[in-house]
Parts: sequence; C-alpha cells; structure tokens
Amino acid sequence: MRWGMAIEMKRCIGCNACVLACKAEHFVPPEIYWNRILIGEKGKYPHVSKLIYSVRCNQCAEPKCVDVCPTGATQKREDGIVWVDENKCVGCRYCMVACPYQMRSFYEHEKEYFPGQGLTEHEQIGRILYPHQKGVVQKCIFCKERIDAGLAKGLKPGVDRDASPACMIICPTGAIHFGDLDDPDSDINMVIQMKKGHQFHTEFDTDPSIYYID
Amino acid sequence: MQARPYEFMIKETPAREWSEGMGALIAVAFFCGGVAGGLYLVSLYFNNLWGMFIGWLFALGMGLFDVVHLSKPTRAWRIAFRPNSSWISRGFLFVIFFIGAAAIQLALSYWAAGNPAETFFKIVAGILAFGVAIYSGFVVGFVNGIKFWNSALMPVLFVVAGLTGGSAILLAVAAYTSAANSATVQVLARFMLVFYAIVIFIHLWVSTYSSPPARDSAIMILKGSLAGLFWLVMVLVGIVIPLVLVSMAGPGSSAVLMVSAAMVLLGNLALRYVVLKAGRYSPLLPS
Repeated sequence: MRWGMAIEMKRCIGCNACVLACKAEHFVPPEIYWNRILIGEKGKYPHVSKLIYSVRCNQCAEPKCVDVCPTGATQKREDGIVWVDENKCVGCRYCMVACPYQMRSFYEHEKEYFPGQGLTEHEQIGRILYPHQKGVVQKCIFCKERIDAGLAKGLKPGVDRDASPACMIICPTGAIHFGDLDDPDSDINMVIQMKKGHQFHTEFDTDPSIYYID
Repeated sequence: MQARPYEFMIKETPAREWSEGMGALIAVAFFCGGVAGGLYLVSLYFNNLWGMFIGWLFALGMGLFDVVHLSKPTRAWRIAFRPNSSWISRGFLFVIFFIGAAAIQLALSYWAAGNPAETFFKIVAGILAFGVAIYSGFVVGFVNGIKFWNSALMPVLFVVAGLTGGSAILLAVAAYTSAANSATVQVLARFMLVFYAIVIFIHLWVSTYSSPPARDSAIMILKGSLAGLFWLVMVLVGIVIPLVLVSMAGPGSSAVLMVSAAMVLLGNLALRYVVLKAGRYSPLLPS
C-alpha cells in the first residue's frame, strides 16, 4: 500500500481552500504552511498562461529527508507516509536543507495569529488538541490521523470523507485525488494513467507520491 | 516564510536554514572541524605535539558549536544512532571518537612516548581526523537539491581548506617553538595556500558550466552579493596576504606567522559561510 495524490492543475483555481483546511485541521502555527499554492507564469505576451500548483510534501518513496536525519525522527511508514517524530527531532534542519522540494517548515518561535490580542479560541483548542513542539521540523503528513482513524472504521481513504486528507475533501473543484498508488484499480491510478500524470522533478531521484496532471 | 506568488519557488530560492540565525552556527562547526582534522593530520606528520593539541581543541570547539546550533541540544545524544545513512551522524561519531582517541594519544605522547599504544592511537586518531575534516563536505555535497553544493569537489574543497588552515597554524606554532622542521612546514603552508586557491577556483569555474542555479551561485560569489566577502576576506585576507607573509617570513618571525595563521583561519571560516549562503534551490515550477 502506498498513499499518493494526483492533482489536476486545470481544475485548480488557486482558491487556497486546501491551505486553510490544512491549517485548520492541524492547528498549524502562523507563518508555517504544510501545503501551499504556487503561482507563476509561462510564456511571453500575448501567449501567457498562469501556472497554479498546489504543493505539499511529496511523501517520496526514496525520501532524502529520511536518509539525512541523524536521529531517525523523520521516518517513512509502510504505507509510504513520511512523518516527523517531534520527540526525537533535535532541530538540526538537515532534512529541510536536503529536501529538494523545500516542503518542510521549522517551528522556531511561538507566535499568535493576532499579536497582542491573545490566542483565538481556535488557537487555544489547538494548544490542547494538537500541540506543536517548538524547535522541531514539521510538514504535511497526508492527514495520517484521519487515514488511520478511517481505516479503523472500515472506511476507504480517497473515497470516504472521514478517512481522506483535509485538503482533498475541501477542494471545491475536485482537483485533488487521493488513493493507493499500489492498487492498479484505484481511482487515483486511473486518473494518472488516463490523464498522463507526471511527478515533480524526477531528476532528484526521490520518486514522489504526488502526480500532477497538466 | 510567507508564500509569495510569482516568486517563492518560482525563481531560484536561497537556502536559508544554515546561513541565517542560529542555523548559521553550523558554518562555525564545519570550520572548527576542518581545521581540527587538518591541523591534527599535518601535526601528526611533523610529529608536533602542540599542533596536535591545538587540533584537539578545535575538535572540542566543533562539538560545542554542533550542539549549540541545535534547537534541542539536550537530545544531541540521539545523533549517534544513524551512521548508516546520515552524514551528520557519521560526523558526530568521527568527532566523538577523535576527541577520545586523540586525548589518549596526547597523554601517551606526553607521558609515555615510544609506547606501542601511542603509535596505535596515533593511527586511529589520524584516520578519525581525516573523517572529521572531510565529513562536512559530504554533508553539504549530499544535498542534490542545491546544485552548487552537489559536487564531487565539495569534500575535497573542505579537506584542502582544513589542511591549509592546519598548516598555517602549525607554521606559527613551529616558529614560536623554534621547531627544527619549520622550514619544511613553511614550504607545505605555501603549497597548501596555492592548492587551496586552485581548488576554490576550479569549483567556481565548473559551477558556471553546471545547472543554472549552480552558475548563479558562482556568479553571486564572484560578482554578486557575496563578492565582497569572497574577494576581500576569502581571497585577499585568507590567501594572498598570508602567502606573501609566509613566503617572506624568516626563521624568527613567529608574530608575523601568527598573524598570517589568523588571516588564513578567517578566510577558512568565510569559505564555509560563503558556500552555505550561496546555495540555491532550482525553481520548483517548470519554466
């Protein structure tokens, strides 16, 4: 089993709902993004097109971050999800440097979303439900808690909302597909094959688990 | 870092983690390690106990800065457990075992010179010293996302820099202690400075043929925002002036050679910082 995503860029409208859903789901601290919308341009006037890429940790099959981590804090699960054990991370940031996609963030200073005005209710709840350790690296984890909880209830990630990543279920255009890359009959594999999905920067030899469809 | 449309990861993105804030202390750790290994190795060759001792002190400095740059230093012991894949883990072990082996060797050399155990620990410490000097080059060279770093020359550059710094310090020590072989050390120091300059320029030159981010890193160093640090500190203060001083210094010029050694060390430190600061990631979006 290997969880992966396929993102259809023609459907993505750059609304940032996925960014906000992730922030809300994991109570991600200010100025840290587990996923982002990158906006660029291609071509020259008058033939210019806008590029909108929804990017996050690629949960690589050959993750450089796991290789370089000196403490084993960054680990890869059997289902392919790469995660960080905050209790083992020493904050050397070698994983951040080694990630060719720059998808990791370092939680250096505790900040409020509205400085000087105290914590919002959401932030207060977040400190209890999903506390983030200062001085360690964090990143997208494919909402592994939702996947694990959903599988325990017999739900199917990528199909059932309660077992799927927050960014996928919030997307208003259905641009994000999620599923098992090792299952040849899964929806995600059908989409990748029919619509010719491609990985990001294959020259890095990381075998990312996220495919992009032009 | 804020997400900036049309810019962040659209253009080349500088690597900031090890060049800004507390993360930049790793440059000091790499510098101490390079000099520690280089000085110990040249001192071992010339059998200079003071040089070996100063090299050992630099290794302690490396250990200190390695731990201080971490945001969770109390967990530093965990770094020892992944030498199978992580160069930082390997380097940590090289440094720890070098400090231990060199301490025993220094004690034996001082109090029980000629003992077979002294020779054994010299060999062990010498091998570990090479590891201490070279490992930071592999740490940086492993990062294939930053093309300027991802070069076979990077470990060579770091070792040569360490040997250059080490030979400069040893020359000052040899002059101060009126060691018999100071003339030979002087020849070595001159040679290392020239060789060090050649390796730096070869790496920069090859980078200009490499991928666009590597080329841009080289241009940034040669005539961009890092040009001042490169030409003034790394080249002029770190290589040219010491080369002149070392070439002209007479047998009793220990003060001049100490100044020369300090300049070489400054240039060495600047090298590590410039390399880390110049690192740039390729744009994530296709052009």
